[in-house]
Amino acid sequence: MLEGIFTGLGTAIMPFNIMMVVVGCFAGTFIGMLPGLGPISAVALMIPITYGLDPASGIILMAGVYYGAVFGGSTSSILINAPGCASTVVTSFDGYPLAQKGQAGKALALAAYCSFTGGTIGAIILLFAAPALAKVSLSFQSGDYFALMVMGLTAVAAFSGKGQVIKAMIMVVFGLMISTVGIDTMTGAPRFTFGTIDLLDGVSFLLLAMATFALTEVIMSIMKRQHLEEEPEIDMAALGSMKLSKEEVKEVAPTVARSSVFGFIIGVLPGAGATIASFLAYGMERNFASAKEKLKFGKGALRGLAAPETANNAASTGSFVPLLTLGIPGSGTTAIMLGALIAAGVQPGPRLFVDNPDVFWSVIISMYFGNLVLLILNLPLIPYISRLLAIPRQILIPLILFFSVTGVYLVSFNTFDIQMMVFITVIALFLKLLEFPMAPMLLGYILGGIMEQNLSRSLVMSDGSLDFIWERPLTLTIIVIAFILLIMPLISKLFESRAKRGMEEAVNKGEGG
Amino acid sequence: MIITKDHIGGLVFLCLSAAYGYYTGDISMLPGDEYQPFNAQTLPNILAYLGGILSIALILTASRDPGDRLSLKGYDFPIVVKLLVLVILFSVALEWVGFLLSTILFLIGGYWLLGERRVKILLIASIPFAVFIWFALSQLLDIYLAPGRLFTTMFGG
Repeated sequence: MLEGIFTGLGTAIMPFNIMMVVVGCFAGTFIGMLPGLGPISAVALMIPITYGLDPASGIILMAGVYYGAVFGGSTSSILINAPGCASTVVTSFDGYPLAQKGQAGKALALAAYCSFTGGTIGAIILLFAAPALAKVSLSFQSGDYFALMVMGLTAVAAFSGKGQVIKAMIMVVFGLMISTVGIDTMTGAPRFTFGTIDLLDGVSFLLLAMATFALTEVIMSIMKRQHLEEEPEIDMAALGSMKLSKEEVKEVAPTVARSSVFGFIIGVLPGAGATIASFLAYGMERNFASAKEKLKFGKGALRGLAAPETANNAASTGSFVPLLTLGIPGSGTTAIMLGALIAAGVQPGPRLFVDNPDVFWSVIISMYFGNLVLLILNLPLIPYISRLLAIPRQILIPLILFFSVTGVYLVSFNTFDIQMMVFITVIALFLKLLEFPMAPMLLGYILGGIMEQNLSRSLVMSDGSLDFIWERPLTLTIIVIAFILLIMPLISKLFESRAKRGMEEAVNKGEGG
Repeated sequence: MIITKDHIGGLVFLCLSAAYGYYTGDISMLPGDEYQPFNAQTLPNILAYLGGILSIALILTASRDPGDRLSLKGYDFPIVVKLLVLVILFSVALEWVGFLLSTILFLIGGYWLLGERRVKILLIASIPFAVFIWFALSQLLDIYLAPGRLFTTMFGG
């Protein structure tokens, strides 16, 4: 392991890669600050750039952007009560009241320290957990992989929130359907191309990710007339001191420790990412608090700010565990990273640890660097970075649109891709209006190809029978977990709607009688 | 009967799954492939059925709350249509007038559509930016950007 750490360190401290972390953190912070654009959009916007880099530098840049975007989201949550992304919504519960009290500086500093600690503890756990899990998963066979993919996809649907489970599953299936467009890699048969040459290669990952996360998010914000809202005015002089007293540090230390471990564990679960971690950590902290302290929550409690900030960063780190060791992304953002790695010719999963130790370790090491950069460089520069928010939206939005569109064009040099992007954006907008989640679709699309290969291999090896599912205890266990994950929300939803209907009938009868 | 977002979504995906399943039959296979345990149609067939079952499940369990109806109020659709048309025009312009000119036109168009009317700002925020990007791509990164069919037709390529 030590050898690996040194390999990773060697790659991560290369001047170019350090520059990638710094640039990534800055770009991420800026994009994350913009209301409506979160880590997924920020990472999606970086994909075209990573195409020209080697895989290690590419993923280092993306990891930096990811962290930066989460931090940027916290900054806008605290300063203007406009969370840039879902995982920092909870930050605004106590962060914004603190800013209103004239303690914005303290809130920002606390957010940065907590993010740093959460990320660092997460990175240390990752340092031990990832190689251990990778070693175990080296014994996996294609049947196990198939089962794992099924579990990953069902978990994403299961964790997608109340009332969204079936919709998330449909989106997973939709993503899998999109992945079947183009030439079938196993038989060479064209599928769903309708005679169009441009579709023979299938729908490109870059195009799909940029259209659904970058272009759609920007267009959605315009559709909601967010560009007409007044530019937020941030009074830099009113930031206040950024120092924390000894008592305050003592107050939040146990919270930070608890939320780090908790956030990491939540982050490891496929599908449950930083958002769920931050909400749960906030709730947990409230339960831990005494009755008197509970009253402070929502009015500027330091613990109420520390818990979600620590947990969301620890969860971001945790979500790299399934990505690096099993090749299954834990969140929409890591799904995009998975796609970018696959496009760069690196197959994340157990073999990554053996075949590309430089990528594996440098990501882990650079995550720590990313946290350090955020703390040392970003925090003091927040007043200057937030000035970028003052760029008028009518100038900023066309520029982001331009980057999304040319990002795709400059990789393929095919204008058909831009038209395809518009087509996908229209569909994505329609689906967003119907409240369908987008991340499960991308996950289904990315895992579709690998899943089909593993299913085909398993079926061929077992002569067409489904015996491979129960022949190995490992495969069976994973499938059973997937099945439980799949069935639980469906059953509870059916029960819920039946109970609701029963109640309605009872009310109607009561009214009638 | 109240038709909510869930009903619409379920119906749309039911149609999609049916169409997907229909076109699955069009996938050509090698002779004898249909007897193989796994062929090019296997996964699409599974997905078509799965999509159908899930869509029906969504329709059956759909919320009947009037608040969940699809409401298009408060959304600015004309601007979205204009911007998306601008993106399509940009893709056409890229082929005909090349990267630099189409970028300038796209940015000016975008700023204009979003309400910027000052000519000075329109020009300052587009021309230097487009020239910088064009210079960085074509001169620094050595990426070949086609000059556009119009110019190659007029002046020869």
